[in-house]
Amino acid sequence: MIGLFWENFRISLGSIFANKTRSILTALGIVIGVLSVTLMGTLISGLDKTFEKSMAGFRSDVLLISRMEWFSGDVDWWEMRNRPRIREEYGETLLARSQFVEAVAPVSERGGSIIKGDRRIDSRFFGTTTDYLATNTSVDVEKGRFFSDGEERSGARVLVIGGDVADGLFPDEDPLDKYVKIGNYKFRVIGVLKKMGKFMGLFSMDNQATMPLGTYKRLYARRGWMTMRVKLNTDQTDLAKEEVRGIIRQLRRLKPTEKDDFGINQSSTLEAQYKAIKLAIGGTGIFITALSLIVGGIGIMNIMFVSVKERTREIGVRKALGATRNMILGQFLMEAVMICFIAGLSGMGMAYGLSIIINKFFPSAMPIGLAIGAIMLSIIIGVVSGLVPSYRAAKLDPIDALRYE
Amino acid sequence: MADLISLKKIKRHYDVGGEVVRALDGVDLTINQNEYISIMGPSGSGKSTLMNMIGCLDSPSEGIYEFEGELVHQMDDNQLASIRNRKIGFVFQTFNLLPKATALRNVEVPLIYANISRIKRIEKAKESLIAVGLEERMHHKPNELSGGQRQRVAIARALVNDPSILLADEPTGNLDSKSGVEIMKILDSLHEAGNTIILVTHEEYIADHADRTIHLFDGKIKEDIKTNKRKNNSS
Repeated sequence: MIGLFWENFRISLGSIFANKTRSILTALGIVIGVLSVTLMGTLISGLDKTFEKSMAGFRSDVLLISRMEWFSGDVDWWEMRNRPRIREEYGETLLARSQFVEAVAPVSERGGSIIKGDRRIDSRFFGTTTDYLATNTSVDVEKGRFFSDGEERSGARVLVIGGDVADGLFPDEDPLDKYVKIGNYKFRVIGVLKKMGKFMGLFSMDNQATMPLGTYKRLYARRGWMTMRVKLNTDQTDLAKEEVRGIIRQLRRLKPTEKDDFGINQSSTLEAQYKAIKLAIGGTGIFITALSLIVGGIGIMNIMFVSVKERTREIGVRKALGATRNMILGQFLMEAVMICFIAGLSGMGMAYGLSIIINKFFPSAMPIGLAIGAIMLSIIIGVVSGLVPSYRAAKLDPIDALRYE
Repeated sequence: MADLISLKKIKRHYDVGGEVVRALDGVDLTINQNEYISIMGPSGSGKSTLMNMIGCLDSPSEGIYEFEGELVHQMDDNQLASIRNRKIGFVFQTFNLLPKATALRNVEVPLIYANISRIKRIEKAKESLIAVGLEERMHHKPNELSGGQRQRVAIARALVNDPSILLADEPTGNLDSKSGVEIMKILDSLHEAGNTIILVTHEEYIADHADRTIHLFDGKIKEDIKTNKRKNNSS
């Protein structure tokens, strides 16, 4: 039987190469189908990876307390804007009263340009305390150091810059101990952060700069917009969140009947939102691209019917020489599967090539599981679309087939 | 001589648009080993149906068909395929070679379905081609061969499985007279080497090669004569 398998393999390759143009055109449907499905999957997995990477700074054990809620449908933006501000002092109270809070760091931020000589980078910069490092474990100082408590209290003009900022302003020199300007103020660069990668430009420290909160308040806003980063020491975030919520309600002197006038945000809310978007984009994308695979399968089926019709006499001869129904079935099924298999391989190859090019603009990498899945899928399409024509070939009456002109 | 084939009261009826066509209408026939038989008859007499019946391509509507003790009329599709593969060699009027395969590959086909290993297959196919005098042309495709050579490939293919019987349906019908003579010489020598051969033809001079001639008419055997003309002539 293995001998027969190889024979069918040879026969099918022979017949595919004998009708090159027809085979290529037929296979094109599957090539395009596999190409689009794998490319879609590659992009989605690339999206996933970068999302995860950028979310490392927003771990689920970190709560972000601010006036705004990230995803609130029922509170208007201007109403949130007019809420009382979040105060730096909340931190101490939270640390003292909550058993779940490990570290708290207030963060104030704004946008602006960082200038070095004639180079200039539009970036965001924020002021925080030294506790920031305890609340964001994904931040890693690559060169130099983070600022100290003394610098924070005294409002020293020092700056820790992200990797992209360093690359942009200091393409070929060491940024440490060099001076940059934000607005009219001069800062000394004391540290460079390791690059994190970015998620479509969002949530990345790479293109930001960090300064001591004391400095920030002195230079920009004493009573500015502020977010509290709260690092929890537990996995029971829901429980901890409730406790923190209670403490903050007390601090803001809310009556039991009043609604929260602040938001406790968490990466999981972002994640849930992201997952819903991903499902919508990915789901429809895969569905549409899968349609093209089905169209490709119909093309294969069509050409297999033609091939069976054309070779009716050959089928008759083979049957006269002793081929059973299953042997004929196997021969044509093999042909359909081979076309799809070769098409699947080339589609995947093209997708791989494209993903390398796309990777230069947008992170993407083809997962091995997806590659194997795409090949399996094209083989299945070959079987499904080849089955009916092959069955028709197999059940031909040898006498009729031999007489067929 | 042992009974090779025995047909008893074989009938084959077709239903063509509500009308029953009696292609074979009660045929009794016994064929022994090493016989050389020709089947003759006008078109529509049932020659081809009888040929297909003997060749196990068709099953009788009624009657008993025994082939070397096996009951063919009871067989299913797979068993018929197997008996065709092991015991019957076909030679067609239109050669019916696979156009994209070389002579050697064409001759290999029955051995593939007999599940014989590649090395042995090629060896046997070569032997068979040498036996019909085509050792020089094994690697040529049918369109590179003359009609006579194509028919010789077909004969080599029919013989490669050492069949019990060789069925030739108008083997010279598509050939010029010179090639026809050549093919008949090969068939004669195969008979002399001990093969059983059945020829279907409507040419008297082709039928004369056989030792026994069966005339069909309206699905029945009209005449069954032993002829030893050829042998008498040659001796």
